Parts: sequence; C-alpha cells; structure tokens
Amino acid sequence: MRSLIRLCPGVFGRLAATLVAAAGLSAAAEAEARVELGASAAEAEVSIGCMYPMSGRAAIYGRDSAAGIKLALADIQAGALGPRAPKLRVIVEDDRSKAAYAVRIAEDFVRQDKVKFFCGMVSSGVAQAVSEVARAQKVILVGTDHASSRLTIDALHRYYFRVTNDSWISNAAGARYLAELQRETGWKRVAFIGPDYDYGHASWSDLRESLQLLGVSYDNVGEFWPRLYEPDYSAYISAIAATKPDIVVTALWGGDFIAFLRQAASTSFFDSIQLANFDTGGNYEVMLALGSNPPPGLILSARHHNNWPDTERNRAFVAAFHASEGRYPTYAAAGAYSGIMAIASAVKTVGGGRKADVEAMVEALENLRLKLPKDPDGFTSYIDKTTHQIVQPLAIGRVVPNTDFPPAKVMLGEWRVYTAEDLIPPPEVVRRRRAAMGAKP
Amino acid sequence: MTTFIAILVDGSIYASWLFLVSAGLTVIYGVMRILNMAHGSFYAIGAYAGASLVGWWFSGAGGNPYVSYLLLLGAALVAGLVVGFFIEFSLLRRMYGRDEILMVIVTYALLLILEDAIKLVWGVDPYFAYQPYGLLGRVSFSGLTFANYDLGLIGVSLVVGFGLWLILNRTHKGKLLRAVIHDREVAVAMGVNVKAMFAVTFAVGTTLGALAGALTAPAISVSPGIGVEVIVLAFAVVVVGGMGSIGGAAAGAVLVGLTRAAAVHLAPELELFVIYGVMSLVLSVRPQGLFGQTLVRKI
Repeated sequence: MRSLIRLCPGVFGRLAATLVAAAGLSAAAEAEARVELGASAAEAEVSIGCMYPMSGRAAIYGRDSAAGIKLALADIQAGALGPRAPKLRVIVEDDRSKAAYAVRIAEDFVRQDKVKFFCGMVSSGVAQAVSEVARAQKVILVGTDHASSRLTIDALHRYYFRVTNDSWISNAAGARYLAELQRETGWKRVAFIGPDYDYGHASWSDLRESLQLLGVSYDNVGEFWPRLYEPDYSAYISAIAATKPDIVVTALWGGDFIAFLRQAASTSFFDSIQLANFDTGGNYEVMLALGSNPPPGLILSARHHNNWPDTERNRAFVAAFHASEGRYPTYAAAGAYSGIMAIASAVKTVGGGRKADVEAMVEALENLRLKLPKDPDGFTSYIDKTTHQIVQPLAIGRVVPNTDFPPAKVMLGEWRVYTAEDLIPPPEVVRRRRAAMGAKP
Repeated sequence: MTTFIAILVDGSIYASWLFLVSAGLTVIYGVMRILNMAHGSFYAIGAYAGASLVGWWFSGAGGNPYVSYLLLLGAALVAGLVVGFFIEFSLLRRMYGRDEILMVIVTYALLLILEDAIKLVWGVDPYFAYQPYGLLGRVSFSGLTFANYDLGLIGVSLVVGFGLWLILNRTHKGKLLRAVIHDREVAVAMGVNVKAMFAVTFAVGTTLGALAGALTAPAISVSPGIGVEVIVLAFAVVVVGGMGSIGGAAAGAVLVGLTRAAAVHLAPELELFVIYGVMSLVLSVRPQGLFGQTLVRKI
C-alpha cells in the first residue's frame, strides 16, 4: 500500500538527535594516547595518574603540564629533594575536558595502574568529579591547574590538595589591589564578566567576599555570564560599557580572555575602563597575544609568572622549560611541576612501595614545606592544613614593554606583591561555607 | 534608546556572523540533501589558513597591512575549494543516493578525520591574527562604539546572501540547480550534469564555511576545537530558518542574533537559553522551520 506522509518533522527530529549526539561526541575523536613518564611500573615506588586536556581548546595547558612534569622528574633525579630520590611513575592521560570521561580514567588508574595519587585537571568541573573518585577510593588528588575554591573551602575532603593559587587566593589578592586602587583613584563602579560555569561563579563570589572583608564600598553595576568558548563578545562589551563601570573584573581565561581583549580593544572600552583579571590574565599566552600595542588599563596576574619572582630558582625553571620545549611556559607548567615535587616530597617522607601508606602521605602533605619556582627569596611554600591549599605570595602587575621572553613583546611589571598569609581564607569564612554545604567545618 | 540601538547593532553583527557560518551548511543541504557535520571543520580550516597567512604577512613578509584582508579571502577561497573538491571527488561522490542519516554519519566521520588532520598540520598551539581586526578602527554613534571590522561583517554577509540569491534566481546555472533541487531524476533525464552540480555546490558550501572561519580568525584565538563549537549553533540557525533555504538561514540568523543580543543586554543569564528557546518555539509551531517546505514522499 502506498500513502503519502508528512516527512519533515520525523527527519528533522532524527537528524537533530543524531547531530546533537555526534557533536557531543566529537571531542572524543581528539583523544591522544596515554604517556608514561619516569620510572617503569616494575621499578616505581609510587604510580601517579595525571589527567589533562591534551586535545581541544585547552590542549596547550595539557602539553605544558606534561613538560612541567618532565622537568620535575629530572630535578628530582638530579637531587632537588636531596639524596635517595623517590622513583615515580607518572601516567598522563587526555581527560578531553569531560568530567564523565575523566572519572572513567581515574577509576582505571586505580583499578589497573594501582595509583596512589591523581594529579592535574584544568577544568574545575572535571576536578570536582574526579575529587569524588579520590574521596571514595582514598587516592590523594593533587590539583595543579583548576582553581575553583569550592574544592578547597566548601567541599574539601581529606584526600584533596592544591599546589597553585585557587580562585580565593587570586581574588583575595585582587581585592587588596582594588582596595589600594580605590584609595588612590576613588573608583566606585565595578562590573564582572566570567564564564558561565563553576569557576566563573566561584571567582566572582570569592572577590565579593574578599572586598566585603576588607570593607571596600562599591557599586555592583552588572554581572555578565557568557558561555565558555564564546566567539563573539561584542554584545557583552557594549552591554558592559553601558553600565559605565570604572573597573571590570573578569574570570575569562585562555582564548576567551584573548578574544574579549581583542574585541574590546577595537571599541572605546579601554578609554575609561580598567580591566582586571587576577587569576589567569597574566598568563604568558596572553602576553604573547597582546603584541606590541596592548590596551591601557590592564591589571593582571596569573598562577605563575616567567619574570616574577626574579629569583635564581624561577629563572632556572623558565630557562629549563625553554631549553626543553623551545618556547616559554604558560602557568600550567609550574603548576604540574609543583604537583609532582609535592608528591615526591610526601613519598620521600613516608616511603614508597609497600610502605606507601596513603594516610601517612596525607599527613606528610598537610605538613609539607617545599621550595618552588614561585617562591620569592626567603619564602618557602607550605600547605594550609585547613584548606589543603598551598600558601604562596601573589604578585599583581601592569603590562609593560619587555622583550626578554620572545616572541612576546610585553610582560607584566610594576608589581604589587601580597603576603601569603594575608590571602588565606579566614576561619569564619571556611566555617560558614562548609556549614552551608553541610560539611564538617 | 541607547540600549535598543546597542541590541540592534550587536544583534546584526552576531546575525551576520551566524549567517556566514550557516550559509554553506544550508546550501549543501538544500541541493544535496546532505547534513554536513564536517561543516565546522571547514570553518576551522578557513580560520587556521587565514590566521597562518595573516601571521606570515605581519611577521615581516608583507608590506601594505590592508593586503591582509585579501589574504583572509584568498585563504578561505583556496582552502574551501581545494578541500571541498577533494572530499567531494574522493568520498561523497561514491555515497550519493544513500539515506540521509547514513550521510550524517559519513560526514561525522569526516569531521573526526579533519579535526585530527588540522592538529597534524597546525599543531595545538593557538594562532593569533589580530591585526586585521584593529586596522579598520572604530566608529561611535549614539554614545556607543563599535569595531568597524564587526560592522564590515554585516556588509560581507549581505554580499554573500545577495550573491547566492542572484546565482540561484538570475543565472542559467542557478536555474539548473533549482531544477536539481526540485527533482533530481527529471533533471538528469533532461541532460543536466547533476554530478558536476553537486561537486560545485559542495565546494561552494565548504568555501562559505572556510570564509566564515577566515573572517572570524582576527577576532578570536584560533585553537583546536573551534569548528566543533560552531556546528551546533549553525544547525540551530538553519533549523529555525528551514533547512536548505538561504532566506531561511538569513531569517534564522537575524532572529537568533537579535534575541541573543537582547538577552545579553536585558537578562544576561538567559543568553544561552534564548538561542535554543527560539529554536524550540519555532519548531513547535513550524516543524519545518520558518522558510522550510513540508515534503511528501511515497512509502
């Protein structure tokens, strides 16, 4: 029997479903094979499973992290932690920036590779998912890149540690900078733009809370939440300008921040507005993208700087990275380097192999004091027991001409440095946020 | 009033970008009935090719900076035509007449291959080609400032849209193409070289995708994955307008662009929702899209 039917809705529905499913899966195509660094499985005292995006938009962070891990392993073997260097086996896998996929990798790390540590993760969303695996499996997670303070303050558990500044530390320093700037310029109106996911919201929340603790009075004239990887910010730029802010604070990062900068620089945005990015804006890739004519009014910092602190240790780290990779590092490299050094210190303290007791490693990490490239002379990084967050000073700067790190034509300078202890979240903040989560204060 | 003007201009800029991104997708579907999942990859190839050429030009190889606009257009043209003809000849030509869903899977496989090929050719480092964006300066009106490059995109999309309309409606080849769209079998019977028509159509579609990428490159950092991100957005636009309709893609782009701009200015937290909200609303009233035609088939 033949009949006529309306075809379109059915076909569109099937096509739409197929397309959406396929688009969702497309990142899977970019997976890269796992990489094993350091000691072999047979000789290793401890295995570490690291997850980074090695494909897609954030691939450069994964690549720099892997290079940072190699430098750390080389330094450990060269005696950076003293004689009898622990033999570490580091497995790096592409987490594809997908929480569900990273969870599967983490579970495989535990089941097949018998890892005692997880490390890495750029996306805070991915880190939160893996953190739950770490809690359940009693595997220590050392965060090296993602920065949402929800992991260190609200939902901290015994097996989670961070070794670069989180959104609280960065924005606590940022709030101090803004307070000083208000005393100097009298700014009043502030707007915020950040990616519409956990990291963006945590950053804005941390900054407001820090400003409140410092007693800074200001008008919040607007909050804007573009999606991650938004290609066109023109509407946001004019919407922000319409609110007439004195200062715009942003938590956009990577290519998103660069796209925003570039698009804003072609309008009158910077004629009357200062733009601050306290957590990621001073990254080397941003310096590179600014070229030789950066817009005025940028207030930036990052989790590591190639030119601050100007210490022998930091210069040696940057030079070693350049010698190894033929380019200068983004902050991801120092984060991964610090993570492996921290783990190695804990293993060295407790002992590896059969003696590798996870609970003792937790104790060792809680009492960790470790000299890192980010430490100014006379300071040694340490772990805050309350938040399991590394405590380090933080420098915020302005963009200045500097050709010492080619091909970048500018770097940060005119630094203002904030004392490490001032940036730790106050106990009452930690208690309140954990109580709100129903967690142990 | 200022907010209204801002919404209008911002919405028009975004709509023009959406139209450029989705025009190639709808042309290929309209003529060939292939929902080209790899369209985002052609966008990415255009962006990388444009960024590479512009980067080379400004790294000391070139002279007049305004030549960089020609390089962007040239990069899109060469990348789109070469890759488009190669894929049509080597792959799609052997698949014509197959089920539409199968073609979705074939082009999805193509997307995966091209994404990795892009990484093999250009690596994973971001590419910056910002000079053409700032070169045109900016313009202020009604207390608002806009980048001339963005406003120029509106002109480019109007030229592309008018050009496509002109070709389809006012040229002999366009009439032949419409005959193929209307009834492929009868067109073949009348002596129309459908294979050649398909090859040219696919290359034009891929070139439009590459053009969108090349023109977007100066405003973004070109990095792995940018093609994947635009395909769903382009799909939303052509579904709203009606798949296979150039006018529909334009209407869909304007509708989505203006709605999104209004959301950004008036209720920023709804920006992402409104794009797909508009799509859902249109499909619930007109499942075939605003300009789409309900087709019938025999079973």
